[in-house]
Amino acid sequence: MKAIHFTLNGKKASCEVQDKELLLHTLREQFSLKSLKEGCGIGECGTCTVLIDDEPHYSCLTLASKINGHDVKTVEYLGDAELLHPLQKAFIDSGAVQCGYCTPGMLLSAYSLLIKNGDPSDDEIKEAISGNLCRCTGYIQIIEAIRNAAGLCKCKS
Amino acid sequence: MLPDFASVNPETKREALAFLDSLDDARVIAGGTDLLVDMKRGESCGNVVDIMNVKELKRLSVNDGKIIIGSTVTHAAISKTVILNDMAQSLSVACGWVGSPQIRNMGTIGGNLVNASPAADSIPPLLIHDAILSIESKDGMREEALEDFIIAPYETSLRPRELLASVCIKGLPGYREGYRRAAKRAAWAISRLSVAWAISEDDDHFVDVRLAIGSCTPMPFRPRDVEEFLKGREKNDPVIREAVEIVAEEIRRISGDRPSFVYKMPVVKDLVQKALRG
Repeated sequence: MKAIHFTLNGKKASCEVQDKELLLHTLREQFSLKSLKEGCGIGECGTCTVLIDDEPHYSCLTLASKINGHDVKTVEYLGDAELLHPLQKAFIDSGAVQCGYCTPGMLLSAYSLLIKNGDPSDDEIKEAISGNLCRCTGYIQIIEAIRNAAGLCKCKS
Repeated sequence: MLPDFASVNPETKREALAFLDSLDDARVIAGGTDLLVDMKRGESCGNVVDIMNVKELKRLSVNDGKIIIGSTVTHAAISKTVILNDMAQSLSVACGWVGSPQIRNMGTIGGNLVNASPAADSIPPLLIHDAILSIESKDGMREEALEDFIIAPYETSLRPRELLASVCIKGLPGYREGYRRAAKRAAWAISRLSVAWAISEDDDHFVDVRLAIGSCTPMPFRPRDVEEFLKGREKNDPVIREAVEIVAEEIRRISGDRPSFVYKMPVVKDLVQKALRG
Protein backbone atom coordinates (compact mmCIF):
# COMPACT_ATOMS: atom_id res chain seq x y z
CA MET A 1 0.00 0.00 0.00
CA LYS A 2 1.11 3.55 -0.67
CA ALA A 3 -0.15 6.82 0.79
CA ILE A 4 -0.84 9.42 -1.88
CA HIS A 5 -1.63 13.12 -1.55
CA PHE A 6 -3.08 15.05 -4.44
CA THR A 7 -5.58 17.72 -5.39
CA LEU A 8 -8.96 16.34 -6.40
CA ASN A 9 -11.47 18.69 -7.97
CA GLY A 10 -9.83 21.68 -6.35
CA LYS A 11 -9.54 20.21 -2.84
CA LYS A 12 -6.71 18.44 -1.07
CA ALA A 13 -7.16 14.70 -0.95
CA SER A 14 -5.24 11.76 0.51
CA CYS A 15 -5.73 8.03 0.48
CA GLU A 16 -3.97 4.70 0.50
CA VAL A 17 -3.69 2.76 -2.71
CA GLN A 18 -2.47 -0.70 -3.64
CA ASP A 19 0.62 -0.87 -5.84
CA LYS A 20 -1.42 -2.23 -8.74
CA GLU A 21 -4.47 -0.02 -8.17
CA LEU A 22 -5.70 1.98 -11.15
CA LEU A 23 -6.73 5.61 -10.73
CA LEU A 24 -10.13 4.73 -12.22
CA HIS A 25 -10.88 2.41 -9.31
CA THR A 26 -9.47 4.75 -6.65
CA LEU A 27 -11.72 7.59 -7.81
CA ARG A 28 -14.83 5.43 -8.22
CA GLU A 29 -14.48 3.34 -5.09
CA GLN A 30 -12.63 5.48 -2.56
CA PHE A 31 -14.06 8.85 -3.63
CA SER A 32 -17.44 7.68 -5.03
CA LEU A 33 -16.88 9.55 -8.28
CA LYS A 34 -19.03 7.39 -10.52
CA SER A 35 -18.97 9.76 -13.50
CA LEU A 36 -15.89 8.04 -14.86
CA LYS A 37 -16.44 4.52 -16.07
CA GLU A 38 -14.52 1.55 -17.25
CA GLY A 39 -15.50 1.15 -20.89
CA CYS A 40 -12.90 -0.71 -22.91
CA GLY A 41 -10.31 -0.82 -20.13
CA ILE A 42 -7.45 -0.55 -22.65
CA GLY A 43 -7.26 3.17 -23.38
CA GLU A 44 -9.39 3.41 -26.47
CA CYS A 45 -12.91 4.61 -25.62
CA GLY A 46 -12.33 7.59 -23.31
CA THR A 47 -15.14 7.01 -20.78
CA CYS A 48 -12.55 6.88 -17.97
CA THR A 49 -10.96 10.23 -18.96
CA VAL A 50 -9.72 12.44 -16.13
CA LEU A 51 -7.68 15.62 -16.26
CA ILE A 52 -4.25 15.36 -14.67
CA ASP A 53 -2.69 18.82 -14.41
CA ASP A 54 -5.49 19.90 -16.79
CA GLU A 55 -4.52 17.45 -19.55
CA PRO A 56 -6.74 14.47 -20.44
CA HIS A 57 -5.50 11.02 -19.42
CA TYR A 58 -7.07 7.56 -19.41
CA SER A 59 -7.55 6.58 -15.76
CA CYS A 60 -7.98 2.91 -16.76
CA LEU A 61 -4.26 2.84 -17.68
CA THR A 62 -2.95 5.13 -14.94
CA LEU A 63 -1.57 3.61 -11.77
CA ALA A 64 -3.05 5.54 -8.84
CA SER A 65 0.42 5.90 -7.29
CA LYS A 66 1.38 8.14 -10.24
CA ILE A 67 -0.89 11.00 -9.17
CA ASN A 68 0.90 11.75 -5.91
CA GLY A 69 1.45 15.52 -5.90
CA HIS A 70 -0.65 16.16 -9.00
CA ASP A 71 -3.94 17.90 -9.74
CA VAL A 72 -6.81 15.62 -10.76
CA LYS A 73 -10.16 16.76 -12.09
CA THR A 74 -13.29 14.79 -12.92
CA VAL A 75 -16.50 16.17 -14.39
CA GLU A 76 -17.79 16.84 -10.87
CA TYR A 77 -15.32 19.75 -10.84
CA LEU A 78 -17.28 21.51 -13.57
CA GLY A 79 -20.73 21.59 -11.99
CA ASP A 80 -23.79 19.58 -11.11
CA ALA A 81 -27.50 19.57 -11.92
CA GLU A 82 -28.10 22.49 -9.57
CA LEU A 83 -25.39 24.64 -11.03
CA LEU A 84 -24.38 23.65 -14.52
CA HIS A 85 -21.14 24.80 -16.10
CA PRO A 86 -21.74 26.71 -19.38
CA LEU A 87 -20.07 23.83 -21.23
CA GLN A 88 -22.49 21.33 -19.65
CA LYS A 89 -25.42 23.62 -20.48
CA ALA A 90 -24.20 23.85 -24.09
CA PHE A 91 -24.14 20.03 -24.34
CA ILE A 92 -27.77 19.88 -23.20
CA ASP A 93 -28.88 22.74 -25.44
CA SER A 94 -27.25 21.16 -28.52
CA GLY A 95 -28.66 17.69 -27.88
CA ALA A 96 -25.11 16.40 -27.41
CA VAL A 97 -26.17 13.95 -24.68
CA GLN A 98 -28.13 10.80 -25.35
CA CYS A 99 -27.21 7.79 -23.22
CA GLY A 100 -24.68 9.90 -21.34
CA TYR A 101 -21.99 7.24 -21.04
CA CYS A 102 -19.33 9.19 -22.93
CA THR A 103 -20.43 12.61 -21.69
CA PRO A 104 -18.20 13.09 -18.61
CA GLY A 105 -15.07 12.19 -20.59
CA MET A 106 -16.19 14.25 -23.56
CA LEU A 107 -16.78 17.28 -21.30
CA LEU A 108 -13.34 16.95 -19.73
CA SER A 109 -11.54 16.72 -23.08
CA ALA A 110 -13.54 19.73 -24.28
CA TYR A 111 -12.82 21.67 -21.09
CA SER A 112 -9.09 20.95 -21.39
CA LEU A 113 -9.20 22.40 -24.92
CA LEU A 114 -11.26 25.47 -24.03
CA ILE A 115 -9.12 26.59 -21.11
CA LYS A 116 -6.15 26.67 -23.51
CA ASN A 117 -7.91 27.91 -26.62
CA GLY A 118 -10.85 30.32 -26.35
CA ASP A 119 -11.68 30.17 -30.05
CA PRO A 120 -10.94 26.70 -31.44
CA SER A 121 -11.57 25.74 -35.06
CA ASP A 122 -13.74 22.70 -35.80
CA ASP A 123 -10.58 20.73 -36.61
CA GLU A 124 -9.08 21.63 -33.25
CA ILE A 125 -12.30 20.55 -31.52
CA LYS A 126 -12.29 17.25 -33.43
CA GLU A 127 -8.68 16.59 -32.49
CA ALA A 128 -9.37 17.39 -28.83
CA ILE A 129 -12.20 14.83 -28.60
CA SER A 130 -10.57 12.22 -30.86
CA GLY A 131 -9.78 10.04 -27.83
CA ASN A 132 -13.42 9.90 -26.71
CA LEU A 133 -15.90 7.69 -28.54
CA CYS A 134 -19.65 8.42 -28.72
CA ARG A 135 -21.93 5.73 -30.15
CA CYS A 136 -25.28 7.60 -29.79
CA THR A 137 -25.48 11.13 -31.10
CA GLY A 138 -22.43 10.94 -33.26
CA TYR A 139 -20.22 13.95 -33.10
CA ILE A 140 -22.03 16.79 -34.89
CA GLN A 141 -24.00 17.94 -31.83
CA ILE A 142 -21.00 17.52 -29.54
CA ILE A 143 -18.80 19.65 -31.80
CA GLU A 144 -21.56 22.26 -32.01
CA ALA A 145 -21.90 22.34 -28.20
CA ILE A 146 -18.16 22.84 -27.74
CA ARG A 147 -18.12 25.56 -30.39
CA ASN A 148 -21.01 27.33 -28.63
CA ALA A 149 -19.32 27.07 -25.24
CA ALA A 150 -16.00 28.46 -26.49
CA GLY A 151 -15.36 31.79 -24.86
CA LEU A 152 -17.57 30.87 -21.89
CA CYS A 153 -14.75 28.93 -20.19
CA LYS A 154 -12.06 30.83 -18.37
CA CYS A 155 -9.17 30.70 -20.80
CA LYS A 156 -5.77 30.48 -19.15
CA SER A 157 -3.69 31.87 -21.99
CA MET B 1 -7.88 -6.81 -13.86
CA LEU B 2 -4.19 -6.39 -13.36
CA PRO B 3 -2.12 -9.20 -11.88
CA ASP B 4 -0.46 -8.56 -8.51
CA PHE B 5 2.84 -6.71 -8.52
CA ALA B 6 4.80 -4.40 -6.25
CA SER B 7 5.71 -0.96 -7.55
CA VAL B 8 8.33 1.64 -6.71
CA ASN B 9 8.46 5.30 -7.74
CA PRO B 10 12.11 6.43 -7.86
CA GLU B 11 12.83 10.15 -8.21
CA THR B 12 16.37 10.02 -9.53
CA LYS B 13 18.00 7.97 -12.27
CA ARG B 14 20.44 6.52 -9.76
CA GLU B 15 17.59 5.30 -7.62
CA ALA B 16 15.82 3.84 -10.65
CA LEU B 17 18.96 1.96 -11.75
CA ALA B 18 19.49 0.67 -8.20
CA PHE B 19 15.92 -0.66 -8.11
CA LEU B 20 16.35 -2.32 -11.50
CA ASP B 21 19.55 -3.90 -10.25
CA SER B 22 18.15 -5.22 -6.98
CA LEU B 23 14.57 -6.19 -7.85
CA ASP B 24 13.89 -9.48 -9.54
CA ASP B 25 11.45 -9.89 -12.39
CA ALA B 26 11.12 -6.11 -12.78
CA ARG B 27 9.54 -4.18 -15.64
CA VAL B 28 9.90 -0.48 -16.26
CA ILE B 29 6.71 1.54 -16.59
CA ALA B 30 6.46 5.07 -17.97
CA GLY B 31 3.13 6.07 -19.55
CA GLY B 32 1.72 2.57 -19.12
CA THR B 33 -0.21 2.64 -22.39
CA ASP B 34 1.45 -0.53 -23.68
CA LEU B 35 2.61 -2.33 -20.52
CA LEU B 36 -0.70 -2.14 -18.62
CA VAL B 37 -2.66 -3.28 -21.67
CA ASP B 38 -0.30 -6.28 -21.98
CA MET B 39 -0.69 -7.00 -18.26
CA LYS B 40 -4.49 -6.82 -18.47
CA ARG B 41 -4.18 -9.39 -21.25
CA GLY B 42 -2.23 -11.80 -19.09
CA GLU B 43 1.40 -10.74 -18.93
CA SER B 44 2.79 -10.53 -15.43
CA CYS B 45 5.86 -9.45 -13.51
CA GLY B 46 6.80 -9.28 -9.85
CA ASN B 47 7.95 -5.69 -9.73
CA VAL B 48 7.22 -2.50 -11.58
CA VAL B 49 9.64 0.43 -11.57
CA ASP B 50 7.72 3.59 -12.41
CA ILE B 51 10.20 6.08 -13.91
CA MET B 52 7.74 8.89 -14.58
CA ASN B 53 8.93 10.92 -11.53
CA VAL B 54 12.60 10.78 -12.55
CA LYS B 55 13.44 14.34 -13.57
CA GLU B 56 16.63 13.53 -15.52
CA LEU B 57 14.62 11.32 -17.88
CA LYS B 58 12.08 14.03 -18.69
CA ARG B 59 14.59 16.51 -20.10
CA LEU B 60 14.74 17.73 -23.64
CA SER B 61 17.88 19.63 -24.54
CA VAL B 62 19.54 21.04 -27.62
CA ASN B 63 23.27 21.54 -27.88
CA ASP B 64 25.44 22.11 -30.96
CA GLY B 65 22.75 20.89 -33.34
CA LYS B 66 22.29 17.77 -31.23
CA ILE B 67 18.92 17.08 -29.68
CA ILE B 68 18.76 14.89 -26.60
CA ILE B 69 15.30 13.63 -25.73
CA GLY B 70 14.84 12.01 -22.32
CA SER B 71 13.09 8.66 -22.52
CA THR B 72 9.98 9.81 -20.60
CA VAL B 73 9.30 12.88 -22.74
CA THR B 74 5.71 12.37 -23.91
CA HIS B 75 4.47 12.34 -27.49
CA ALA B 76 2.41 15.43 -26.64
CA ALA B 77 5.53 17.30 -25.50
CA ILE B 78 7.46 16.30 -28.63
CA SER B 79 4.63 17.30 -30.97
CA LYS B 80 4.22 20.69 -29.28
CA THR B 81 7.86 21.70 -28.82
CA VAL B 82 8.66 24.40 -31.35
CA ILE B 83 12.40 23.72 -31.47
CA LEU B 84 11.74 20.08 -32.39
CA ASN B 85 9.31 21.16 -35.03
CA ASP B 86 12.08 23.28 -36.53
CA MET B 87 14.94 20.80 -36.15
CA ALA B 88 13.20 17.44 -36.61
CA GLN B 89 9.87 18.16 -38.18
CA SER B 90 9.17 14.58 -39.21
CA LEU B 91 9.43 13.48 -35.57
CA SER B 92 7.15 16.15 -34.21
CA VAL B 93 4.57 15.47 -36.94
CA ALA B 94 4.74 11.71 -36.28
CA CYS B 95 4.37 12.09 -32.52
CA GLY B 96 1.29 14.24 -33.15
CA TRP B 97 -0.29 11.25 -34.92
CA VAL B 98 0.25 8.74 -32.12
CA GLY B 99 -3.00 7.40 -30.62
CA SER B 100 -5.28 10.04 -29.16
CA PRO B 101 -4.68 13.18 -27.04
CA GLN B 102 -4.88 11.03 -23.89
CA ILE B 103 -2.36 8.52 -25.24
CA ARG B 104 -0.03 11.34 -26.33
CA ASN B 105 -0.21 12.87 -22.84
CA MET B 106 0.69 9.53 -21.28
CA GLY B 107 2.86 7.64 -23.77
CA THR B 108 6.56 8.39 -24.02
CA ILE B 109 9.20 8.26 -26.73
CA GLY B 110 11.17 5.69 -24.72
CA GLY B 111 8.12 3.50 -24.34
CA ASN B 112 7.45 3.65 -28.07
CA LEU B 113 11.02 2.48 -28.78
CA VAL B 114 11.17 -0.25 -26.15
CA ASN B 115 7.78 -1.59 -27.27
CA ALA B 116 9.26 -1.73 -30.81
CA SER B 117 6.02 -2.13 -32.72
CA PRO B 118 6.49 -2.34 -36.52
CA ALA B 119 3.87 0.43 -36.67
CA ALA B 120 5.41 2.77 -34.07
CA ASP B 121 5.08 6.29 -35.46
CA SER B 122 8.21 7.69 -33.81
CA ILE B 123 10.61 5.13 -35.28
CA PRO B 124 10.83 6.11 -39.00
CA PRO B 125 11.62 9.77 -38.19
CA LEU B 126 14.23 8.74 -35.64
CA LEU B 127 15.81 6.40 -38.21
CA ILE B 128 16.31 9.18 -40.75
CA HIS B 129 17.94 11.26 -38.02
CA ASP B 130 20.34 8.37 -37.22
CA ALA B 131 19.10 8.19 -33.62
CA ILE B 132 21.57 6.93 -31.02
CA LEU B 133 20.12 5.54 -27.81
CA SER B 134 21.74 5.93 -24.45
CA ILE B 135 21.17 2.85 -22.33
CA GLU B 136 22.18 2.72 -18.69
CA SER B 137 22.47 0.20 -15.92
CA LYS B 138 24.01 0.32 -12.46
CA ASP B 139 27.27 -0.90 -13.98
CA GLY B 140 27.58 1.67 -16.71
CA MET B 141 26.34 3.17 -19.92
CA ARG B 142 26.28 2.02 -23.51
CA GLU B 143 25.18 3.65 -26.73
CA GLU B 144 23.46 1.89 -29.58
CA ALA B 145 22.03 3.01 -32.91
CA LEU B 146 18.24 2.68 -33.04
CA GLU B 147 18.70 0.64 -36.21
CA ASP B 148 20.55 -2.03 -34.19
CA PHE B 149 18.47 -1.68 -31.01
CA ILE B 150 15.33 -3.18 -32.57
CA ILE B 151 16.13 -6.78 -33.38
CA ALA B 152 12.67 -8.15 -34.22
CA PRO B 153 9.05 -6.99 -33.99
CA TYR B 154 8.41 -6.08 -30.34
CA GLU B 155 11.94 -7.17 -29.44
CA THR B 156 14.97 -5.04 -28.59
CA SER B 157 18.52 -5.51 -27.39
CA LEU B 158 17.59 -4.05 -23.98
CA ARG B 159 18.76 -6.44 -21.28
CA PRO B 160 17.17 -7.02 -17.87
CA ARG B 161 18.33 -4.33 -15.39
CA GLU B 162 18.99 -1.86 -18.22
CA LEU B 163 17.12 1.39 -18.71
CA LEU B 164 16.69 3.39 -21.90
CA ALA B 165 17.70 6.85 -20.67
CA SER B 166 17.63 9.08 -23.74
CA VAL B 167 17.59 9.35 -27.51
CA CYS B 168 20.04 11.58 -29.33
CA ILE B 169 19.42 12.90 -32.83
CA LYS B 170 21.02 15.53 -35.02
CA GLY B 171 19.10 18.26 -36.76
CA LEU B 172 19.31 18.19 -40.55
CA PRO B 173 19.57 21.85 -41.51
CA GLY B 174 18.88 22.52 -45.18
CA TYR B 175 16.87 19.32 -45.62
CA ARG B 176 13.15 19.35 -46.25
CA GLU B 177 11.58 16.70 -44.11
CA GLY B 178 8.23 15.23 -43.25
CA TYR B 179 6.16 12.24 -42.24
CA ARG B 180 3.06 10.84 -43.87
CA ARG B 181 1.03 7.82 -43.01
CA ALA B 182 -1.96 5.86 -44.19
CA ALA B 183 -4.35 4.53 -41.56
CA LYS B 184 -7.96 3.35 -41.38
CA ARG B 185 -9.10 6.69 -39.96
CA ALA B 186 -7.57 10.15 -39.61
CA ALA B 187 -7.43 10.00 -35.82
CA TRP B 188 -6.91 7.30 -33.20
CA ALA B 189 -5.62 4.73 -35.61
CA ILE B 190 -2.58 2.55 -36.00
CA SER B 191 -0.43 3.30 -39.04
CA ARG B 192 -0.93 0.83 -41.86
CA LEU B 193 1.96 2.42 -43.74
CA SER B 194 4.21 5.32 -43.01
CA VAL B 195 7.08 7.15 -44.63
CA ALA B 196 9.48 9.63 -43.07
CA TRP B 197 11.82 11.59 -45.28
CA ALA B 198 14.59 14.16 -45.13
CA ILE B 199 15.85 15.35 -48.49
CA SER B 200 18.55 17.80 -49.42
CA GLU B 201 18.50 18.91 -53.03
CA ASP B 202 19.76 21.71 -55.23
CA ASP B 203 17.80 23.11 -58.17
CA ASP B 204 17.46 19.91 -60.15
CA HIS B 205 19.48 17.24 -58.32
CA PHE B 206 19.02 15.13 -55.23
CA VAL B 207 22.02 15.68 -52.99
CA ASP B 208 21.17 13.39 -50.07
CA VAL B 209 17.95 11.46 -49.58
CA ARG B 210 17.01 9.75 -46.34
CA LEU B 211 13.88 7.62 -46.24
CA ALA B 212 12.39 5.34 -43.61
CA ILE B 213 9.36 3.16 -44.06
CA GLY B 214 7.18 1.89 -41.22
CA SER B 215 4.36 -0.70 -40.86
CA CYS B 216 5.45 -2.52 -43.98
CA THR B 217 8.22 -4.85 -42.92
CA PRO B 218 8.84 -6.59 -39.54
CA MET B 219 10.76 -3.50 -38.42
CA PRO B 220 10.70 0.03 -39.81
CA PHE B 221 13.73 0.34 -42.10
CA ARG B 222 15.85 2.68 -44.22
CA PRO B 223 15.82 1.60 -47.90
CA ARG B 224 19.56 2.13 -48.33
CA ASP B 225 19.71 0.98 -51.96
CA VAL B 226 17.41 3.76 -53.06
CA GLU B 227 19.17 6.32 -50.89
CA GLU B 228 22.42 5.36 -52.60
CA PHE B 229 20.80 5.35 -56.06
CA LEU B 230 19.44 8.88 -55.61
CA LYS B 231 22.68 10.49 -54.49
CA GLY B 232 23.51 13.22 -57.02
CA ARG B 233 20.82 12.04 -59.48
CA GLU B 234 18.82 14.46 -61.51
CA LYS B 235 15.38 15.10 -60.06
CA ASN B 236 12.95 14.09 -62.79
CA ASP B 237 10.06 11.69 -63.42
CA PRO B 238 12.05 8.72 -64.78
CA VAL B 239 14.50 8.84 -61.83
CA ILE B 240 11.65 9.04 -59.31
CA ARG B 241 9.85 6.16 -61.04
CA GLU B 242 12.97 4.04 -60.90
CA ALA B 243 13.56 4.97 -57.26
CA VAL B 244 10.05 3.87 -56.33
CA GLU B 245 10.64 0.49 -57.99
CA ILE B 246 13.89 0.04 -56.05
CA VAL B 247 11.99 0.70 -52.79
CA ALA B 248 9.40 -1.95 -53.75
CA GLU B 249 12.24 -4.37 -54.52
CA GLU B 250 13.88 -3.74 -51.12
CA ILE B 251 10.57 -4.37 -49.34
CA ARG B 252 10.07 -7.65 -51.23
CA ARG B 253 13.59 -8.71 -50.37
CA ILE B 254 12.92 -8.17 -46.64
CA SER B 255 9.38 -9.54 -46.38
CA GLY B 256 8.93 -11.84 -49.34
CA ASP B 257 5.71 -11.41 -51.32
CA ARG B 258 2.88 -11.00 -48.83
CA PRO B 259 -0.88 -10.98 -49.42
CA SER B 260 -1.16 -7.48 -47.95
CA PHE B 261 1.17 -6.13 -50.66
CA VAL B 262 -1.74 -5.96 -53.11
CA TYR B 263 -2.81 -2.99 -50.99
CA LYS B 264 0.46 -1.90 -49.46
CA MET B 265 2.70 -1.68 -52.53
CA PRO B 266 0.68 0.93 -54.45
CA VAL B 267 0.34 2.97 -51.26
CA VAL B 268 4.01 2.84 -50.33
CA LYS B 269 4.99 3.72 -53.91
CA ASP B 270 2.66 6.69 -53.86
CA LEU B 271 3.91 7.92 -50.47
CA VAL B 272 7.54 7.62 -51.58
CA GLN B 273 7.05 9.38 -54.92
CA LYS B 274 5.21 12.22 -53.16
CA ALA B 275 8.03 12.51 -50.62
CA LEU B 276 10.64 12.63 -53.41
CA ARG B 277 8.73 15.13 -55.50
CA GLY B 278 8.11 17.43 -52.51
